[in-house]
Amino acid sequence: MKGARAAVELLEKQNVQVMFGIPGGVLLPFYDELLQSDIRHILVRHEQCAGHMADGFARVSKRPGVCIATSGPGATNLVTGVATAFMDSSPMVAITGQVETDKLGNDAFQEADSFSLMMPVTKHNFRVTDPKVFPETIKKAFMIATTGRFGPVHIDIPVDIFRAEITDEQMQKAVRVPKPKRNLADLLDAIKLLEKAERPTIMVGGGVAWSQAGQDIARLAEMLMAPIVTTLMAKGSVSENHPLVLGVCGMHGRQVANYALNNCDVLLAIGTRFSDRVTGKLSEFGTRTKVIHVDIDSSEIGKNVKGRVGLVGDAWTVVNALIAGLQKRTKAPTWKAKIIELNKQCTCDYDLRSDPLKPQKVIHELSKNLPDDAIVTTEVGQNQMWAAHFFKCYGKRMFITSGGLGTMGFGFPAAMGAKIARPESVVADIAGDGSLQMVSHEFATAVENDIPIMVCLMNNGWLGMVKQWQKLFYGSRYIATRFTGGTPDFVKLAEAYGAEAVRVERHSEVAEAIKRGAKADVPFLIDFVIDPEEDVLPMTPPGMTSADCIKGRCQWKGEVC
Amino acid sequence: MEVMMLLVYDQPGVMQRVMGEFNRKRINVETIVVGKCEVPDRARIVLSIADKDKALSVIEHIRALHEVIEADLVDQTRHEAYALIFGKEGVCRVTGTVDEVDSIVKKSQPDRYIQAMNAI
Repeated sequence: MKGARAAVELLEKQNVQVMFGIPGGVLLPFYDELLQSDIRHILVRHEQCAGHMADGFARVSKRPGVCIATSGPGATNLVTGVATAFMDSSPMVAITGQVETDKLGNDAFQEADSFSLMMPVTKHNFRVTDPKVFPETIKKAFMIATTGRFGPVHIDIPVDIFRAEITDEQMQKAVRVPKPKRNLADLLDAIKLLEKAERPTIMVGGGVAWSQAGQDIARLAEMLMAPIVTTLMAKGSVSENHPLVLGVCGMHGRQVANYALNNCDVLLAIGTRFSDRVTGKLSEFGTRTKVIHVDIDSSEIGKNVKGRVGLVGDAWTVVNALIAGLQKRTKAPTWKAKIIELNKQCTCDYDLRSDPLKPQKVIHELSKNLPDDAIVTTEVGQNQMWAAHFFKCYGKRMFITSGGLGTMGFGFPAAMGAKIARPESVVADIAGDGSLQMVSHEFATAVENDIPIMVCLMNNGWLGMVKQWQKLFYGSRYIATRFTGGTPDFVKLAEAYGAEAVRVERHSEVAEAIKRGAKADVPFLIDFVIDPEEDVLPMTPPGMTSADCIKGRCQWKGEVC
Repeated sequence: MEVMMLLVYDQPGVMQRVMGEFNRKRINVETIVVGKCEVPDRARIVLSIADKDKALSVIEHIRALHEVIEADLVDQTRHEAYALIFGKEGVCRVTGTVDEVDSIVKKSQPDRYIQAMNAI
């Protein structure tokens, strides 16, 4: 059998039902075989979006997304998509074509050293130069992407490998799946710390979303009488209508979440890597706290927050081991009562009835009107932070965002990937006008492939988050943040691609537009024209502590966080 | 000086991946020796780093690489140096510990010499 046939069969055997990509010269043998396969191929308009779609697909289905791009420019375009998945530990298999093996390194047409380019942004990558190991390599790629800490794996395949002969024996070769790495030697220390804690807090990160341990963590929190704070990546992994769940912490987090994080005596951190957006000034973080750090990746323990009790294992296993080992807590529930009381008071005073429209109103209505199984994706910037702060994730709702790399233009293609993974759910992308303009061409993909997603565009005519930083930290000296005239009419733009669109300028029209968008059976854009003066507050300035928080209209009356 | 020993697959791209981790963490590798070893299709990398904390901060990341089979800090071995001294009697080859080679180079006061330090 030819290599191209083998590749398609191997993908089918890995239960790949959909792949995202753009063909090219060196991929022609592969695409020719794909014609006879049941694998659905989504033709995107830019390879970066193929990566994001595969990423969105993976985050919803918890299975590796597959994207494919040609050699040279195809591979370089794909790098952003793969890097985004890498930073958020999303399982992905990225395939790129490559020029013939004997031309490698000779600057052939559309040659780029994609093996080296992808190396720092993948969990592992392969360049296949020997057809004998080709089947084995594809199997290994799927295995590596989905074992241990998930991540993207890249395979660079020269075109002559697609034409080479592959034997049945090579096809049958199995790969060894390594045993999950665990180190629970310090479990007893952790249990002792938690039992003795006066003010325990649980911090959950993206690892919990991947491990789907949310319900177990809620049970653990009830046993410990400890509040739960989530990072941006973990939003939605624990139901936000649970009284102990305080919401997102960090730079733009809720004040009560930051209070619980900074004033606890024992912090149980699960599946988080203590990003600078969460910790603020690292040297001040957790100085009064004993930290128990649970992570599937042993290299994360002690990377940012040093010298703590470390448990290596996946969130679900470790949380259940903790539950099994813990005695019922007998300490008085004063900390829990205090936090629950503070949580009730932690509401932002934002105006739901003003025109020009406030972004908080849009998110508020989305939160109210979307069904309980809706999937929300966000772009990056102010729209992302408003969504994280004001959108309530409970039930089967999911929140998908580019937390690590912060890729503008992530949300729209990721929403399409999510919709393909769970077609029965309403999928809404909370977008900004800056981000959407990076990927607006993907309306063509959405219309062409019948992917009816909703785009809620928060249009303020600025690169809002950068503008906010210029306003707060650079004396309102604005440069290169305002779109002065070249911005398209987004309603007309969406309609030009065959999508439906509506513009909303008044607060009274918001709910109805959202209801209409959720029911639409074509891609639907709502252009919310929002108040450009609105900032994302509260905000802890970068590299500072919560004591320096800019509160805005936040009515926090608790102590210093 | 901390000495790290790695057992890796003997194939192209491995050095780039291993060195990538040192580069990312801004750690200078003082010296490095790579070669085939007693296990077929495997190679050993022996390298040294000046700072112990840095060595400890990078080793878990090195272990996480799929082409690295094992990585450990090994006991301090003696650091060798190598020099070629161009004197009146022709070229003279000197090997030994760093101190020995240093003192020989100093004593012979050569017109010209080259020296490689910290070989392990």
